[in-house]
Amino acid sequence: MDFHTALSWTLPLAVPIAAFGSALGLARAVSAAMEAMGRQPEAAGRIQTGMIIGCAFIEALTIYALLTVLILQGKIA
Amino acid sequence: MPLEAAHVETQAQEGLKELANWITLVSEKWHGTPWADFLHHWENVFFAWVIALGLVALALIGTRGKKNVPGPFQNFLEAVVEGLVGFVSDVLGERGKKYIPFIGTLFLYILCQNLIGIVPGMKSPTSSLNTTAALAVTVFFYVQWPGLRENGLLGYIDHLMGNPRDLIGWLMVPLNLPLHILEEFIKPLSLSLRLFGNILGEDSLIATFVGLGIAALSFAHLPFGLPLQFPFMLLALLTGTIQAVVFALLSTIYLSLMLPHEEHSH
Repeated sequence: MDFHTALSWTLPLAVPIAAFGSALGLARAVSAAMEAMGRQPEAAGRIQTGMIIGCAFIEALTIYALLTVLILQGKIA
Repeated sequence: MPLEAAHVETQAQEGLKELANWITLVSEKWHGTPWADFLHHWENVFFAWVIALGLVALALIGTRGKKNVPGPFQNFLEAVVEGLVGFVSDVLGERGKKYIPFIGTLFLYILCQNLIGIVPGMKSPTSSLNTTAALAVTVFFYVQWPGLRENGLLGYIDHLMGNPRDLIGWLMVPLNLPLHILEEFIKPLSLSLRLFGNILGEDSLIATFVGLGIAALSFAHLPFGLPLQFPFMLLALLTGTIQAVVFALLSTIYLSLMLPHEEHSH
């Protein structure tokens, strides 16, 4: 198997796997933030800020996978 | 044309579709002339300048005829500025006053750069890594400078060593120091890659669906396609705003991590 074949098999899988991990992380983060907001509506603004930062860090991991795919996609084009 | 060859090469390397903007049209029309190639090569810088000048003009016009009872335009600008002041003060508190202009400018600039990609004929400069890397490097130096000035050189090194106060703290220094230094350099890397990846992904998604929409109607030979990209443009409004917020917020938080922590000791 040359690297073209290997990449064309693995590239479409790389982002979904990363996205799945991110989805699990986001689900935990957002559900915890929502619970906290429901318990303390007066602190909703601060919780939301923290949640968005955490979400950005989690999202970034998928974006790294996406960038890797985009870079490697040029190799098989 | 060496410029053109380089561009074709990068396009092949990226292997991504991007929507044509009006600079693409100009460079197609006057193909091969040096100025059209120059414009095409530097299109991201060009759009970034357009946005920067537009924001400057907006600010100049807005601050010219200030009144005590603001008109609708002044009212809008005041609301924006108040929002930004609240945004920075939420994280940094009272000491964040002097950082509001930089963070606010950063937010507005990135927001406009992200959203201009939705306007037909325009392109998001942030879909190029060069733009986002420049912004992230600016943030890097802007964060290091107050860290040095407000902590002093010793305090800065102390911060990088993880504020060792007891034996265990000093024993952890060989571990903490490289980690903290590495972290300072990873911050701009992740800032730039996150913005770039999000905006590029969203723009190429829109471009792909424009292509699908045209292909869907290709049998009829009409001069237009189905607007399949429309829902993704709404999504782009959302992600563009969120990414601008995230970039500005993370810059603020890096600042607050770097500044002295006396307020957190209570």
